[in-house]
Amino acid sequence: MRLNDDPEAFEAFYRRHVDAVMRFTVRRVSDPHLAADLTADIFLAVLDSAHTYVPTRGSETAWLYGIARNVVSAQHRKAARETRASGRVAGRRLMDDDDLARMEERIDAERRMRDALRAMDGLPEGERAVLELVVIDQLTVTEAARALGIRQVTARVRLHRARRALENVASPSAVYLEGQA
Amino acid sequence: MSNFEDRLLGALKEEITTRTAEDRTTTVTPVRRSRGRLVGLSAAVAGVAAATAAVVALTGLIGSPAYAVTKDADGGVSVRINAFTDPEGLESELAGAGIKAVVDYLPEGRICKQPRGRNGAASGRFATGVGVGEGGSGITFTIEQGQVPEGATLVLAVSKSGAGDDLPPFATALEVVDGAVAPCEAVPVQAPPPSDGRAPDRQGDGPLTDSRTDDGGPGLTTERD
Repeated sequence: MRLNDDPEAFEAFYRRHVDAVMRFTVRRVSDPHLAADLTADIFLAVLDSAHTYVPTRGSETAWLYGIARNVVSAQHRKAARETRASGRVAGRRLMDDDDLARMEERIDAERRMRDALRAMDGLPEGERAVLELVVIDQLTVTEAARALGIRQVTARVRLHRARRALENVASPSAVYLEGQA
Repeated sequence: MSNFEDRLLGALKEEITTRTAEDRTTTVTPVRRSRGRLVGLSAAVAGVAAATAAVVALTGLIGSPAYAVTKDADGGVSVRINAFTDPEGLESELAGAGIKAVVDYLPEGRICKQPRGRNGAASGRFATGVGVGEGGSGITFTIEQGQVPEGATLVLAVSKSGAGDDLPPFATALEVVDGAVAPCEAVPVQAPPPSDGRAPDRQGDGPLTDSRTDDGGPGLTTERD
């Protein structure tokens, strides 16, 4: 299956994941327009990376979240120095007022997750990445390891360290830092 | 009833159609090269010209899939490499984004002999800088629009980690070459000479250190996981 030249295959993939992708973005940004842009960017990146999609090699979810993380972190790097110009598919331009309201609802619903993410800010990036995918995005450790391209045992070690570090700071957000181990 | 999700799906499917059409009309000309014939020659990679090449030790690399090439809204192209496999795939991906590229992944300690061709990067094409992704989350760089113009080639050579293709590479060289690109001839990686005025600052700790050219050339930075 080729996601980037088979519109029907892509549509099936899109419908399976669009909800999760939107949730992924609103857990990380609180601006509805930006969330729409990122949602579009993530699926564009899916098209860009479609040839690396091997359904038999690990879960689709892990592959998608690997891409989603890349897109969102690239966005964060760029945010400071440039405002978004018009791309070929700009998410924000596809939203009407109803969509905007729905996106804002989604953003409100994920406030606690964004707080929890902020609580992870002090962690080393490698540990944070695993914790983020497991706790915030509810991936299994296996999926998180695949999404990050690291070994499962490495992911477990990082997850353990990250949790321990957060326990030590006794952040109020730590109560949300549970997830599937 | 139509909503954001439906409209986005529609726009993306249109994008697929557009891209498929573009693929049919675009001829991707592979750059002549010989990956198999790697000849040992000595060269100091970063020393060729601080303005044109940068050598770094990249650490804290994680991520998947192997690479992603994303066209930015401003016409630039963002590249992210998570695993040093499938250089041809990355090349064709970049070609699809309008950037002619030559990518070579070499074993640890080996890098392509410099120079690879007439060098155009000194003219400040990378004025906006080429960066390597935030610590622990992969290598990224952005090619701004016009940095690799018609007739020029983005040339990337990576000396992989001996411990695995998805591990932080031993060294990386990135440059823009005008005209023909010489095939990669593998030579031992040498620490950048102090010609750029920046002595390696982590020599005992890793194979190489990060270097950034002073003139706005392609600087690569690195952060430890």
